[in-house]
Amino acid sequence: MAAGRKGRGRPRAVPRPEGPARPAGRLEDEDMPAPDDALLLKMLHSMKLTRALEYRIERKLYRQGKIVGGVYVGRGQEAISVGAAVHIRRGEGEDRDDIVSPSHRDMAVFLMQGVPPERILAQYMGRSTGLTRGRDGNMHMGDLRHRLVAFISHLGDSIPVAAGCALTFVMRGTDQVSFCFFGEGATSRGDWHEGLNFAAVRRLPVVFICNNNQYAYSTHVTRQMRVEHVSDRAAGYGIPGETADGNDLLAVYDRVGRAVRRARRGDGPSLLEFVTFRMTGHSAHDDAGYVPKSEFEEWGRKDPIERLQSALLRRGLVDRPALAGMEARIEADLDEAVAWAERQPYPEPEECLDGVYHEGGPGAGDRPQGESTAWR
Amino acid sequence: MSAVLKKGRKRPAAPARVPDLAARLAPPPAVPMKNPGLSRARLLELHAFMRLNRMLEEKLSALYRQGKIVGGLYSSLGQESISVGTAYALLPDDLLAPMIRNIGSLLVRGVPPLTLFLQFLARHDAPTGGKDGTLHFDDLERSIIGPISVLGTLIPVMTGASLAARMRGETRVALTYIGDGGTSTGDFHEGLNLAAVLNLPLILIVENNGYAYSTPTPSQYAVESLAAKGPAYGVASESVDGTDVLAVYDATRRAAERGRRGEGPTLLECRAFRRRGHAEHDDMRYVPKDLIAAWEKRDPLDRFEAFLVEEGHATRASLRAVAEGFEPVLEDAAQKALASPFPPPEETLRDVYYEAT
Repeated sequence: MAAGRKGRGRPRAVPRPEGPARPAGRLEDEDMPAPDDALLLKMLHSMKLTRALEYRIERKLYRQGKIVGGVYVGRGQEAISVGAAVHIRRGEGEDRDDIVSPSHRDMAVFLMQGVPPERILAQYMGRSTGLTRGRDGNMHMGDLRHRLVAFISHLGDSIPVAAGCALTFVMRGTDQVSFCFFGEGATSRGDWHEGLNFAAVRRLPVVFICNNNQYAYSTHVTRQMRVEHVSDRAAGYGIPGETADGNDLLAVYDRVGRAVRRARRGDGPSLLEFVTFRMTGHSAHDDAGYVPKSEFEEWGRKDPIERLQSALLRRGLVDRPALAGMEARIEADLDEAVAWAERQPYPEPEECLDGVYHEGGPGAGDRPQGESTAWR
Repeated sequence: MSAVLKKGRKRPAAPARVPDLAARLAPPPAVPMKNPGLSRARLLELHAFMRLNRMLEEKLSALYRQGKIVGGLYSSLGQESISVGTAYALLPDDLLAPMIRNIGSLLVRGVPPLTLFLQFLARHDAPTGGKDGTLHFDDLERSIIGPISVLGTLIPVMTGASLAARMRGETRVALTYIGDGGTSTGDFHEGLNLAAVLNLPLILIVENNGYAYSTPTPSQYAVESLAAKGPAYGVASESVDGTDVLAVYDATRRAAERGRRGEGPTLLECRAFRRRGHAEHDDMRYVPKDLIAAWEKRDPLDRFEAFLVEEGHATRASLRAVAEGFEPVLEDAAQKALASPFPPPEETLRDVYYEAT
């Protein structure tokens, strides 16, 4: 490492000085065009695919005993994952691609970053072709080839990680952005505070995206914070905060787009809150008996997919037969994906200790000579 | 990282210096002091505690230079108004948890100077029996909960203490301190958030003294004032001039009343400046000299004395007499402490684990 640094010249100044040198800036000042028709249809497809895939996992495979471990779904919250993830820059190379730390209810983010449904199914079923090669279940997965930072079980811990990713972008002088997803419960965590404050002080390019689904396991949001909105917390860090309807895809698309533009330009992080509802228990084993039935009924009527669909139907962008065709294709694809995943082997017992510690290869151990493959 | 270097791109830069640091840490314009309705006797008592605080620390500093203090010594020079003003606004059984720069709070609570000398000199008769220095001790009879070295951690502890008080139906409030640096810790966030959600009578005094060790506040937070943190938790907050002991007292008193009325926690930022190093060993060469000079002119004791003289509560001579009165008392206490024994070696393992008595 030291040898490689010789004669590289003086370090250049960090382009984003610390502290509130200029006003935090308002998201509404950004110029954010609405999505075009093709993008709308693509987002509708992503939402539907996410829901269908999660339905298979939660309602079928889990009940058939084929899932290893827990199942956490984002049913009713798909608009947030999709409306945000569509802004992630991808496929343009190491210096251009954004990075994302999804929460455990952001299946759509994995799909949109290019993880195929069958590999997600293999992951849930503990197969060796899952993202963690059968070593962990559900959403505890990541893949840096898809610029996905693995979800960290300890809620809130991914916030400083996302801030650290953004710091590398600043240090390297690129205009990449770090996307960070979490729930409202995580905002009470110390790690959340430390990560957000650091990002604010260093004016790091992070978009903090909170899905406020009103329950952190069984804790209602009113027992989580005394402020009305998660976005109210932004004022304590000197960054913009905004709340929008999380079941309105266009609202999510718009707010995240503005925050991304701001971050890319070097104006620092934003805290976005999208109000939604957890239309399920904390996980598949939880009957959510502590949630009043009326809340499920009320939020069921605000379903984000139904909402987008009827808007697109009204605008004549799709018709019923086209929607039916889209659904049929998704189901057929998932039939194939499930069949593929079920054919996959479980990991061999002798692999148990693989990947626990670093073992040679072109990784961290011999970085001075080789290049890390971690970002490939 | 090596991938970056290989391609000949520039390597990571050192963090930028804050360009207008001196301007941003300069004292804000002084507002004339105002008596919030304290009697002459109370004003003079407040002054006496501040003077005693300063003289005691001067003596400790001299002992440190003689190599007699065991461990660190953290000065509150220029911040005595915060320790004294806040503690003075509480009732005697309100819970108080000082941090390392709050000797003044202990003096107000009635901890004798001799106890403090014994503690800093690590003598056997000290509250920690000579096993720890500085202010790391409890005095539950005086409702004092000892500081925790890990900054921020005391906040959830005091949140818990105030919860206990409420569950027992007491009207006690709990007050503790944190510095500007401590506001960036996770414990600060968790403790304050819980106090807010449970509507507990916690008073959190944020002593904003410009530096967390060598980190200046523009590198610590991106808000104009730490009072901005209050609304983020749904907590009442205020920022006062920490060099104005009367403003500090009055704001704390209001916060305590709010807590007793069941209106929840208060975050009170007191702006001052750390005119010494982080601790006595630190030459603080990282602090611009003119900044220290500017804050010396805002000395809280000088300000308060000028106020007392101007308002006719005291004369220069009577104020000098206060200091002269303390001198032999402190000298005597220091000598007594110096003459008292260190803990015997065989006590080393005592109090490490709980022993049933």
